[in-house]
Amino acid sequence: MANYFNTLPLREQLAELAKCRFMNSSEFADGVEALKGKKMVVIGCGAQGLNQGLNLRDSGLDVSYALRPEAIAQKRQSWKNATENGFVVGTYEELIPTADVVLNLTPDKQHTPVVTAVMPLMKEGACLSYSHGFNIVEEGMKIREDLTVIMVAPKCPGSEVRAEYVRGFGVPTLIAVHEDNDPKGEGLALAKAYAVGTGGHKAGVLMSSFIAEVKSDLMGEQTILCGMLQTGSILCFDKMVEEGIDPGYASRLIQYGWETITEALKYGGVTNMLDRLSNPAKIKAFDLSEELKVIMRPLYNKHQDDIISGHFSKTMMEDWANDDVNLLKWRAETAETNFEKTPAGDVKISEQEFFDNGILMVAMVKAGVELAFETMTAAGIIAESAYYESLHETPLIANTIARKKLYEMNATISDTAEYGCYLYNHACVPLLADFMKGIKTDVIGKGLSVEDNGVDNKRLIEVNTALRSHPVEAVGAVLRGHMADMKKIV
Amino acid sequence: MDSIGLDNIYFEKVTVNFDDRFTLSEIDWTIEPNQHWVITGTNGAGKSALAAVLAGVGEIENGTVIGLPKNVGLVSFEAQAELIAKELKKDDADIMDVISLGTPVHEMIFDYCQDTALAQALVEKFGLSTLLDRAFRKLSTGETRKVMLIRALANRPDLLILDEPFDGLDVDTLAMLQDHLASIIDSTPMIMVLNRFDEMPAFITHIAYVDKGKLTLTVDKSDENAFNELYQLLHLKTTDLNVPQADPANKLPALDPSQPLVRLNQATIKYGDTIIVDKLDWTIERGQHWQLSGPNGSGKTGVLSLITGDHPQCYVNDIFVFGFQRGKGESIWQIKQFIGYVSTSLQWEYRVSTSCKNVIISGFYDSIGMYSKSTDNQKKIADQWLTLLGMEDRADQPFNKLSYGDQRLLLIARAMVKHPPLLILDEPCLGLDDMNRQLVLALIEKICEDKETTVLYVNHHAEDQIKGIENYLGLKKNN
Repeated sequence: MANYFNTLPLREQLAELAKCRFMNSSEFADGVEALKGKKMVVIGCGAQGLNQGLNLRDSGLDVSYALRPEAIAQKRQSWKNATENGFVVGTYEELIPTADVVLNLTPDKQHTPVVTAVMPLMKEGACLSYSHGFNIVEEGMKIREDLTVIMVAPKCPGSEVRAEYVRGFGVPTLIAVHEDNDPKGEGLALAKAYAVGTGGHKAGVLMSSFIAEVKSDLMGEQTILCGMLQTGSILCFDKMVEEGIDPGYASRLIQYGWETITEALKYGGVTNMLDRLSNPAKIKAFDLSEELKVIMRPLYNKHQDDIISGHFSKTMMEDWANDDVNLLKWRAETAETNFEKTPAGDVKISEQEFFDNGILMVAMVKAGVELAFETMTAAGIIAESAYYESLHETPLIANTIARKKLYEMNATISDTAEYGCYLYNHACVPLLADFMKGIKTDVIGKGLSVEDNGVDNKRLIEVNTALRSHPVEAVGAVLRGHMADMKKIV
Repeated sequence: MDSIGLDNIYFEKVTVNFDDRFTLSEIDWTIEPNQHWVITGTNGAGKSALAAVLAGVGEIENGTVIGLPKNVGLVSFEAQAELIAKELKKDDADIMDVISLGTPVHEMIFDYCQDTALAQALVEKFGLSTLLDRAFRKLSTGETRKVMLIRALANRPDLLILDEPFDGLDVDTLAMLQDHLASIIDSTPMIMVLNRFDEMPAFITHIAYVDKGKLTLTVDKSDENAFNELYQLLHLKTTDLNVPQADPANKLPALDPSQPLVRLNQATIKYGDTIIVDKLDWTIERGQHWQLSGPNGSGKTGVLSLITGDHPQCYVNDIFVFGFQRGKGESIWQIKQFIGYVSTSLQWEYRVSTSCKNVIISGFYDSIGMYSKSTDNQKKIADQWLTLLGMEDRADQPFNKLSYGDQRLLLIARAMVKHPPLLILDEPCLGLDDMNRQLVLALIEKICEDKETTVLYVNHHAEDQIKGIENYLGLKKNN
């Protein structure tokens, strides 16, 4: 199999990367009609598989689960999940031939074996749905010509996909049709009905392409989402301990700090996150982030270049084939870092203190979000995609660190994201070594010790203008506005 | 007598701020170690807040509190909600493609309690032995409450604070708990928040009455005159109740009058080998009001959620509701439009930030939070409900900043607002004070008179009988 993206001419590559449109709610007037009475068979009963299935069934659709014979025979967790929730469960051989739509909701790494096993069993003219395009775009999986291939990807964890539906709402969702596999021209109608069935249309749907989804998703998860938070955690912790701050305090400030500061990001973008700081601290964070952006830009470019060229997926797949030797080694190294081994101390840190004493962390999030966004859009990915894959998802990842530190983050993200995260971290820690030498506890650990909060008017205006005029803020305001429109308190 | 060996607790002109959403002011109070107090007052007066201060919650802005012991046990809805939210958050944050199973009950109890032997004994007394391996968040409301109580009791606290400890407990458990509390009165001073005077244990020595964030009255229970006056104060009578009309624009599809509203045929709920509900046959005809009762864990909520469609196993049961045989391509919203619903779990789940008025209006849309624009008439009806509940001053306040009892009142209005064909009230009076409990019971009676709505009422308290309900279904515990 060859990298699909690399087989396309530049013109088409650019066109696919630039696909991303926020759909109008009137486009979903047909509801779930296109899927009504059709047989939907889900493969994989993890959090996405189970919760999407529950939503689709509650929307009046016919859903069942195909599992491997050993999962059924041994009554594994996936079998329990499906049967306790009252779904029909069967083997691939039993269920796939009856399916009008097969929903592949297994992890990336299993896509090739799963799709290879399933494809010959699928009936003529059926539809195969993905929630992530890696298999098609990077691995170059060829799907039988009579089959329709679509993608429906809710941009939230599975549990939230369910919780929002039950409330009468949904989560933002990305849909796409694989142009090479749309023989009957029904791909879009099916993808839209699927998005309605999970409740996604109420929170906003982005019409994208397999290529744009993969290239932006990989970039976001390796750099700002996971890589930057891992590197930042390790560097900030070691610096604080070196400067004599109590390790328990340092551990708590970082473990829960990412979650707290990115919560502000979720509500009002980078601007709001920095607005939570005092004026002198804001200017300090801004200056630090400018410095960080200059140092880290080549690294972000390299990640994006390797993703676009296919070099990243090639090396990762080599590691898959080599029993994950690198992945497992890096995972073990992460477990041995001082941050990971020092439990959060029993101290109380107020919500505001996480900002005041975590100026460098704020600067790192700002630099990472902006660099990832800038690099993605420079590579031809449209702003909407770049926003979702950088700023929008950062709080979700920060949440996992609050639970059980880096171990939890790396255990919960996909293997693909984890692999990319380690790659980033290995390059970024040495890259920031000199920068970190100049860092003191005023920006990480203790907060600024200024006599008063006075600042120069002109400088403050410059900083505020720069913050507010960054392109990620413009698109963010629009996309968050779509959400707020629907949730508006009237 | 100072057998407990603790100091008095003194409050002197104390003002306490709770995240800027509530303030207790100018509290003067002395609690002696051999006293046992009940704090009472109307919903939203600050009863729970005052109790929580004793457990170190809130920011003391003025005045002094002296003598608070370190080891304080606290059982309250807020603490329970916090614990449940914490467990849910573990799940929310889950971006791994694995279903998080949550913390098992034995970990919640034994990793926390100092006195393991006592904890073990209480687990048996409360009948939780068979649930030790179950995930905490899979427990019913009554069961999580029991876990909270065991945690507090088995820590042998120097001060025990019980905020509505009896709500949601079945009759047997309630008697057992009251006996246990009576057996520790010599070693453990207790402060209880109680909405219902009839639940006050005999060992209580003093009563504190809270009104609008102030401690306005303290009464020694042996002073009969003062006690009776206080009782009168709490016992307001409701007159001239008028239930606001439904919205004529909110027309539901017509139901076939010859068919029952609900028919469960051999309904069964099971997890693995554990059977929660076993082959239940139940038909609810239109206009036939029902009361459902049974001990904690007997599957009451499970049966209700089969009807509402919230239980995933409704798809493997033979269930007929509002003209739909379940599992034939109907959507859950087609079912929910016929139902108004109140329960404690709904209250846990109502975690979105929205105004009180919107909470009522969301009843027209069967949603938690508002995602569509409301009409002028819907707003007008919501205002009428707010007036009826005496909450018109709180119309625009955020729902999640209200007291537990006030939230409950709003959710009852949300359930009734569209005059649904089926109104399901799962322990609607939980957490309400005497006055509001009577208001709600009177409302339910009014709605029972109305032929449009069939009421399905679930409760533990035998004394909360409703005129007009003539059909009873009792569930037994299976495991």
